[in-house]
Amino acid sequence: METIDNSIAVLVRNINPITKLLIVFCLGIGCLIYPLPFVGYGILCLLVILGILIGQGKQVLKLIAGFGIPVTLMLLFIQGLYSPKNITMIADFGFAQMGLEGTMYALKISSTLLIFLAAFYLMLQTTKNSETVAALTQSGLNTKIGYLILASLNVVPQMQRKVKVIQEAQESRGVEISGSFIQRAKAFLPLIGPVVLSSLTDAQERGMTLEIRGFGINGDKPTSYIKVETTSLDIVLRIIAICFLISSLIPRLL
Amino acid sequence: MTSTLIQVSHFSYRYNQESEVALKNVHLEVAAGEFVAMIGANGSGKSTLCNALVGLIPNYFVGYSEGRITVDGKDTASVSVGELSQTIGLVFQNPFNQLSYTADTVAEELAYGLGNRGVPRDEMFSKIKKIAELMQIDELLDKNPLELSGGQVQRVALASAIILEPKILVLDECTTQLDPIGSEQIMDIIKKLNESGITIVMVDHDMERVAELADKVYVLQHGSIVLGGTPEEVFCSPQLAEFSVSPPDYYEITKNVIQPGYREKDFALTESQAIALLQEVLYEDRNQEPQA
Repeated sequence: METIDNSIAVLVRNINPITKLLIVFCLGIGCLIYPLPFVGYGILCLLVILGILIGQGKQVLKLIAGFGIPVTLMLLFIQGLYSPKNITMIADFGFAQMGLEGTMYALKISSTLLIFLAAFYLMLQTTKNSETVAALTQSGLNTKIGYLILASLNVVPQMQRKVKVIQEAQESRGVEISGSFIQRAKAFLPLIGPVVLSSLTDAQERGMTLEIRGFGINGDKPTSYIKVETTSLDIVLRIIAICFLISSLIPRLL
Repeated sequence: MTSTLIQVSHFSYRYNQESEVALKNVHLEVAAGEFVAMIGANGSGKSTLCNALVGLIPNYFVGYSEGRITVDGKDTASVSVGELSQTIGLVFQNPFNQLSYTADTVAEELAYGLGNRGVPRDEMFSKIKKIAELMQIDELLDKNPLELSGGQVQRVALASAIILEPKILVLDECTTQLDPIGSEQIMDIIKKLNESGITIVMVDHDMERVAELADKVYVLQHGSIVLGGTPEEVFCSPQLAEFSVSPPDYYEITKNVIQPGYREKDFALTESQAIALLQEVLYEDRNQEPQA
């Protein structure tokens, strides 16, 4: 029998990628539009809970802590202490005073960034790249642009593999790749040339492959092996996402 | 009468920014259903000729060409590579170059070319199932193609070309990453494809295999065809050594063992010919042994 975690993960996995994209953008943009940062942090908590439920909690928390804490501190330092919008002072550090307006602005920006980051992360963990692009092309996106998106997404793991291969080749010939940060940085520099050059060669060969496999044949409407369905759950989620976006606009309009 | 599927007429080609020509006045014909092998030392122009046959030259590569190549009546210079791909398929030397890098599974990878041709989804499933069984990759269908071994990717690469059912299949050293048994299995499949009517143009360094499978062999050197004919005509040519090509081992063995002049044929090119010839000689020797 499936556990609750797994059934939720399956449910999230089966959501149409377009719906997921729409949710990501509505949440992110909605939080950016809404004047106060607390809504953003509330949504961030919900995203963390969702991450935990689908077995990605640790990774999401790591991402938020690794990126969110330094960025928030940096934004608080810059905006909180030195924003020209600061009128109401909430703390005095001696060398500078902390303003409420700048602090709120910093928290809003950091919450928006974290929402985009966590939501995109969860989307990528629960959706195959090919499914996302298939859903986009089925919704009318040009297949050539679709390929461009997919190839760009897939080039990252490919380059990582290439770095590993070249690194192993260099290590086998005596290059020291472990040790202190400076030592590792030194070992990384000679990798850049071969990785970039071989990626350029790969791009040329990829072009040849696409040609001989009929990419862009005139006359035939391309079909897809991947079938992306839009269920009633997708429609409900899309409506909720759009409603959230619209409701975040209301305080601005009033 | 067999129809000519490929006609290469005095074709020459030089890559942009290269001073040497890659192909020099190449002239050959391939009939429908024929199995043609191209052999020669590294850098002799075999892969360039493969690229020219599928239209990548002159459509994709920048360079200077003379002469004409027609594939199934279409001039390769005046139709797109995509259009030509409906007639002629190519399997690259490096199987990783055959991948589209858009697929998360092998099944999606195999479906890529079919999708470009607008093959309906239901039809894709049956074609993928059939080709996966043929290539013995059914267990790999749900795996990520980038996480497979070289030999497995080679099977997937070949399957991705065969699934498009081309009239002509160009194989540029397509078994380099396979172990001997895997390589033999693939060659059996290619042989069956040829028997079913698909024209094969194969680049290979395995002379035993070339002698076994090919109807016609062309030897390339410095971009020119320097020798051509049946495997027997080519491998028995005294000029062969000049072109850095050795005949099959069976030829050398039988030539050294069999006394010349006593038989209609005192050499063998393939395993089965060598066995038959050596059995014949052993039988004769046994019969000539003095009776006790």
